[in-house]
Amino acid sequence: MKGRYEDENLSWIPLLIIGIFLIPFMLKEITFSYKYYLFVLNMAGVYIILTVGLDLLSGYTGLISLGHSSFLAIGAYTSAILVDQIGVPFILSLVISPLVVGVFGFLIGFPALRITGMYLGLTTMGFGFIVKRLIIALRVWTQGAGGLEVSPPMIFGYTFNSDWDNYFLIFTFAIIAVIVGRRIGKSKIGRAFMAIRDSEQAAEATGVHLAKYKMLAFFISGLFAGFAGALFAHTSHFISTDHFDILLSIYFIIMILVGGVSSIYGAVLGTLFIVLLDFLFVPELKDLIHRVLNIEGGDIQSLLFGLIMFLFIIFQPTGLYGMWIKIKIYWKLFPFNPKKRLI
Amino acid sequence: MEIFIGLIQESISGIALGSIYALIALGFTLIYKATEVVNFAQGELMMVGAYINFYFVTTFLAQSGEPTIGVFFLAFAGSIIFSFVFGWVLDWVINRPLKDEPIFSVIMATISLSIILRALVAIIAGPMSLIPYSPFGNRVLSLNGIIISALDLSIIFSAIVLVTIFYYFFNKTKWGIAMQATSEDPVAAQLMGIPVKRVYGLVWIFSALVATISGILLAPRMSLLDTSMGFLGLKAFPAAVLGGFGSIAGAIVGGIIMGVIETISMGTLSFHFKWIKEMNDIIVWIVLIAVLMVKPDGLFGEEKVKKV
Repeated sequence: MKGRYEDENLSWIPLLIIGIFLIPFMLKEITFSYKYYLFVLNMAGVYIILTVGLDLLSGYTGLISLGHSSFLAIGAYTSAILVDQIGVPFILSLVISPLVVGVFGFLIGFPALRITGMYLGLTTMGFGFIVKRLIIALRVWTQGAGGLEVSPPMIFGYTFNSDWDNYFLIFTFAIIAVIVGRRIGKSKIGRAFMAIRDSEQAAEATGVHLAKYKMLAFFISGLFAGFAGALFAHTSHFISTDHFDILLSIYFIIMILVGGVSSIYGAVLGTLFIVLLDFLFVPELKDLIHRVLNIEGGDIQSLLFGLIMFLFIIFQPTGLYGMWIKIKIYWKLFPFNPKKRLI
Repeated sequence: MEIFIGLIQESISGIALGSIYALIALGFTLIYKATEVVNFAQGELMMVGAYINFYFVTTFLAQSGEPTIGVFFLAFAGSIIFSFVFGWVLDWVINRPLKDEPIFSVIMATISLSIILRALVAIIAGPMSLIPYSPFGNRVLSLNGIIISALDLSIIFSAIVLVTIFYYFFNKTKWGIAMQATSEDPVAAQLMGIPVKRVYGLVWIFSALVATISGILLAPRMSLLDTSMGFLGLKAFPAAVLGGFGSIAGAIVGGIIMGVIETISMGTLSFHFKWIKEMNDIIVWIVLIAVLMVKPDGLFGEEKVKKV
């Protein structure tokens, strides 16, 4: 099966999708604590939806966002308030919440028309702080810093109660998000985004409407984040402002950098890598450090992530996906590899 | 009248806080001007300086037994020597590998440095907050009913001295002029025989030095010393943007204005308007967004023309 683009081999995609939906059954066979692994995978699934959107914004368009956890927060709180306090059905809230966050993305996109690079990073970071404060201030609806209990997702009378149910819900949407993200990346819009990233002046000179496409990038990214937020709120049953701090925004950037900037598959790989590392490897490492060195490795997680990002930026700027491409090319050319590095 | 006295008192306290912001902003402005690297870890450099100074003070106190001027002076000297080494190491670790990388990577690399430093300090120093020593104790000066703490005065005084020294260094000495030339055009500077790499190293050492001094000054002003001190460095960025990013005068003026705004909004304004109380800790960010919307180049910044 060939895709719309000649170089793209799509025959493995249906297999992959079937594989994704077989994972819970396999986990149940293999391990006893499969529920914990499903919980971790659900987390990864929600984050994948967000990082795909973030990659379209930061990777493709080159607009740095250090406030993406606030987009997630707005989506989560909007959906929680809509469903629990106004009584909108969950499936409708899945449409409204992303739109609300998209509008917020639009708002933050306004200053982005005039500023880039570091200034934009600061603005989005400030936006993150402001949103967090705003959520606490609107305590009539959000119950302030105390957090908010959220009802489980319900679609056409069926309630998704366990991590098992949530897995299928989240990954259905995650797969759709990845496909949509990839289509956007390969379309006219995606090419305009990349042109803006490479050179704003050149893009404008060749007829890319800068203001329109920058706002569009923020809007699309907001849509993805809002969707992730709505799913996050209802599948984790409890949200508070502590879930959405500035460090989470930085972790999102780490995810797309580790995976490989401006490739959707890279964002997926990076998210899986970081989340799995966070939930499965870090506790073991903490345990080990506690036993061997006899100190509390409280912040070992951020130390590890900081180091990983630092080493990736310096030694492997193309990320995990770039590594995969390199290996693929190596085997394609084997044994006639040129001596110098290809990418 | 009472409001008036309160405002003056808060302004002086705000100038002291603003001096700290100005020193932090001075640190990353130096680096930005010379190497075009935006150092998001400046607040963490300050935190490391404060911790090192705390370590020296406690060690020397344990040996001498009583807090004297000599102890604080020795600890200060020790921290300064440490900051020289630290800046030199950072030049090798951060600056040299990241030269000519895209801005996105540079920002994220310095952010990861800040995360690493914060985590390392937390692991080494332990999770408990420390209570910093102050060489001035709780002494206050009273002037016509206006009460000023000696600590604030010492901060303002040290900031003035430091800025004067830097001004002299940049404009009168050979190395300072070499730095100016390098920030103007590195290639031309190299052609004129200026050791550009060594100048970069010097810039990082300077920046670590300023950060350490501001950390030493700030630590006694905060009642508790913990790793969240690094976040204060983030607030210096809005200050620098307000003054005009990349301009040394702008860093100083912006820092002081921001400090005064923050202190007054926390004090008198919060007392009289309830809704301002809600936005105390985000007021710097609101100012930042306002400045970027209205005048992105700040008060002293030069307008940049982009080339393809």
